[in-house]
Amino acid sequence: MAVESEHVTADVIEAMEFPDLSRRYGVRGVPKIVINETTEFVGALPEAQYLAHLRAAVEANGKDTAE
Amino acid sequence: MGLIADKDRETIRAHFDESLSGDVEIVMFTERESPIIIPGKQPCEMCAQTEELLKEVASLSDKLKLTVNEISSAKEEAFAMGINRVPAFVFKGASRGRVRFFGIPSGYEFSALIADLVDVSNGTTDLTEETRKYLSALTEDVNIKVFTTPT
Repeated sequence: MAVESEHVTADVIEAMEFPDLSRRYGVRGVPKIVINETTEFVGALPEAQYLAHLRAAVEANGKDTAE
Repeated sequence: MGLIADKDRETIRAHFDESLSGDVEIVMFTERESPIIIPGKQPCEMCAQTEELLKEVASLSDKLKLTVNEISSAKEEAFAMGINRVPAFVFKGASRGRVRFFGIPSGYEFSALIADLVDVSNGTTDLTEETRKYLSALTEDVNIKVFTTPT
């Protein structure tokens, strides 16, 4: 996704090597995905569902800044 | 023998020959073992191995180049790329956004590394038209973190 948009930064994090990050983001299963610190899910989802999560995260973000 | 088995090395080399179009620079940040022991400071366990693995990957195509920075002497560059821990690396190529890896890319992450190098080289992905359309219309920054484990 980061390849397709200049606005996207994608981080691949090895959970065992960075236990502080795993704790902070409550990683209990992998792959765990966290979008914009707010939206999260576990598991490799089909692309359409992944996109739905991304949309939700971006919309939630927009709402926060408007308030 | 290196970290990548000989037969895998040849498979990846052939895959790169076929799939890479543009050059990609892998910019790695590491922390080499210090001769001075600093109390309370943990040495970077996976730094040396990550560097070795990336060296092996980069050697499999003329289009790949690896640059290794000691994080303590490349603080500004690391900061600009949002790197504050090691081992970490980013790709410079035809990607519009930024792809960062934190930790050693072994196991499943190794396949992700190879696939990402191809995407960054080509500036394209296998994503659907709908996803690509949505992404290209984004106007605000999005961060996606993917936590993985080696197995």
